[in-house]
This record gives sequence, structure tokens and C-alpha cells, in this order.
Amino acid sequence: MHVSFERFGDAALRARLPEGTDARSLLEALRAVPRVVDAVVTERHALVAFDPGFPPLDVTEAMARALSEPSPAAAPGEHRIRVRYDGEDLDELAAMTGLSRSDVVAIHAEPEYVVAAVGFLPGFAYLRGIDRRLVVQRRQRPRPRVAALSVGVAGPYTGVYPFASPGGWNLVGVAFGFVPFDPRSGATLALGDRVRFVRVEP
Amino acid sequence: MIEVIAVAGLATIQDGGRPGRMHEGIPPGGALVPELLARANAAAHNALVDPAIEVQGSLTIAARGALLVAADDGVSRLLKEGDAWTLACGAARVRYAAVRGGIDVPLVLGGRGTLLVAGLGGHDGRPLRRGDRLHVGSGVERRAALPPAPILDGVIRVVPGPDLDRFEPGAVDVLLASDFRVSTHGDRTGFRLEGPALARGDDDTGVSAPMVRGAIQVPSSGECIVLGPDHPTTGGYPVLATVVRGDLGALAARPVGAMVRFVPAVQALLAADKG
Repeated sequence: MHVSFERFGDAALRARLPEGTDARSLLEALRAVPRVVDAVVTERHALVAFDPGFPPLDVTEAMARALSEPSPAAAPGEHRIRVRYDGEDLDELAAMTGLSRSDVVAIHAEPEYVVAAVGFLPGFAYLRGIDRRLVVQRRQRPRPRVAALSVGVAGPYTGVYPFASPGGWNLVGVAFGFVPFDPRSGATLALGDRVRFVRVEP
Repeated sequence: MIEVIAVAGLATIQDGGRPGRMHEGIPPGGALVPELLARANAAAHNALVDPAIEVQGSLTIAARGALLVAADDGVSRLLKEGDAWTLACGAARVRYAAVRGGIDVPLVLGGRGTLLVAGLGGHDGRPLRRGDRLHVGSGVERRAALPPAPILDGVIRVVPGPDLDRFEPGAVDVLLASDFRVSTHGDRTGFRLEGPALARGDDDTGVSAPMVRGAIQVPSSGECIVLGPDHPTTGGYPVLATVVRGDLGALAARPVGAMVRFVPAVQALLAADKG
């Protein structure tokens, strides 16, 4: 399968990914290309970053190879994250979805989620797999500050805020005993990892 | 040791950045104006990307023990115990204060600079404030010519795209034909430019895509936001053009109100020709 890169400045190239790309395998393949300083794979795009004076020579080929025969990447990590479901937006979510508050919680805690992308903040994982009934818009007015470890939903994603930050996601609860980002080792959740939320009583 | 006596505005420790971790959501970091960091370090006989203090506003320090300090204008000064020294930006957007040996702060995920959004690196992951005491490193002494300062009134080279299909056809021509000015809204994550609106040709439903420093993002208002060293590693706004790496410092050094003109980077500059 041929996918071409487009220029993203003089220090990066970006490709639009075909549906069904094995993101985890692709990320590993791109990071392994000589002279690639960093690679980022999101749901529709892949980016490679490099020194403009020392660019990689065969990114397109590595990409084509990774897409046509995905290498068996290391097994994805599995995480269980305890959540106290007392989020500020539960009532609003219930109203928006026509569900009861306890249904919103039960439906959010049910699926196994998959890390579809990592970005926005260090250690922030966009988790796919949310039940269709909980797919809602971001809040009209983002909050100037969302507390660290808040668990939110927006569009087809759910996720845990690793740091206090401005944010527009609808908050369902707070994670416990979970370290999304460790200054010694970096991000805890990686592309393709599996995540389950375990409900703990408030 | 250095003691911080006063800070007006923002002072953080910065270095050459934290490359290679964007896939974990960690931006590349590094000095807003790498050329000025290099000048301050050269004047202090340090490696050009040793940790130094990035100042937006003014900073006064006192020497606790004799030491040599230097600024991005190439001027160094030997301080003895108790001497105070002030670095003020004046009309400049950002300046750098280096000390012989470098500022000694821990290596965190490949860099020593401060990443404010994550509260990591530098001095306890936060801006410097009065009373902070900073250790001085023992980096070997180097002698290098003072690197050139960035040119503040030159054109800024951009590579158009990569999201041209999400704009009205003439948007990139407007970007290349217009005068923009540095607005008051800006920090290390990015800064806004004032100028004509850049017409979007889509709605605001773009999925998050990888971003780079220098990307010119355009929200639906048509404003122009240039991503800085601590930019979010992914974003949903389309990118009309991207500033080439060699001109990032010359753009970031411009004070509020300064004029900015963009030109297309010539093909020969673009080493990676593998599209």
C-alpha cells in the first residue's frame, strides 16, 4: 500500500493514514528509521520529525513496509484504573443522553478502551471504545481549570487529565491510584494499550 | 550558587529541549530563541545549549560565591559574593542569563528545561521566584565565537501546508502577501499574530493530528497562532503553513507590535525531498 508524506515545515513530514492502520506497529517502525528523531501517530495521521540538516532517507519505504506487513509489535499494556464516579457533569450528561446518572456511570465503566492517540498534554491518552450512548459534544465553554486525574468524555473519546489544565471535556469522575505521567519514566499509557475503569464508591 | 532576588514577568530555566518524546505527549521544549541562548552560553564559555535562565521581563540575582554571569548581548561579568546583577528585557521579547558552568538542575526525560504545563524540569518544574537558590554546574570551559543574533526585521520563511485543503483557495496568498504583527497574546506554547483573517474552508470538526513547533494554526476565527516550543503535541485546528526551523528564533524574538512578513521557503532549502 502506498501512502505518501507531505511536508510539515522543513523538520517534519506528515502522512494521512488509511483506515485500519495498526498504529502501534507503525509508530515503532517509524521511530526505528535512522535519522528520525521522533514519530507521532494519531488516528488519521503519522508524523516523523528530524533535523532538517540530516533528514531520513527512506521514511516512505519504511511506512509502506509497516502498512503492508505490520510487524508484531510488543503486546499492548493493560491497565485498570480505579475511578470515583462523582464528576461535576454527570447530571448534565444524564440530561443530554436521556439516561439516568447511574446508567451513565455503569455504561462508562463497562467497556475495554484502547489508546487511540497520545497527545495534547504529556501522558494524555485519547481512549476509544466509548458506548455510543455516551458520545456527546465538548462543553460549550471549556473550564479554565480541570483538576489533575479528572476523567472526562468528549465526542468518541474518554480520557484522564494527567495535569490540571484548561479543558472542555465533560467530567464523569476522578481516577485513583493512577499515575498518568511519571517524570522519571514518561507517559504511562502508550498507543494501543488497553484500559478498563473500575468503579470505586465515593 | 545564585540567589534570585527579584523577578518581574517570567523567568524559567531552559536548554536545548527534550527531543524525541512527542509520542508521549511531551513537546520538544528548548529556548524560545535558540540563537540568544547560544550567545549567552558562549559568552559564559559554556556549551551552547547548557541550561540558562530565559527571562521575559526582568531578573535580578545575587552571587553566593564568586561566579561569572553573561547575557545574550555577549557581555559577561565577574560577580563576587553578594554582588547583584540585573537582566532586563526592555524592548526585547526575551533575554537569557547564563552562568559559567551552567545552571545545575536535574536531567528529566532527556532535558533540563522547565515544562510549565507538566510542572517538570528546571527548578522544581516552575518559574523562578524571589528566594530561589540555584546551583552552578561544572561544565568544562569552552571558547567559541559569539554566534550571530537573530535578524528581527527579516522575512520569515514558511513551507505552505500541510492542511491547504481545509482553507479557502486564496488563504495562503493572503498569508504571504500581508503584514502581520506580534500580538500581546503569547507564551511558550504559542503566540498570536494580528493581521487579516485567513479564510477557512471547513467546519471545526477536524480530528486531532500531530503538531510541530512553528506550525501556523488557524482557528475558525481566521486568526493566526504560531506554535511555540511547549506546544500541545496534537491539535485539531488546520495548519496553513509552517515556519522553517532556522527562522523560529527570529520570529519568537520579535517584541509585541513588531511586523512579520512570510515568504515561501525555497525548494533548495528543503532537504527532505521524499514526498
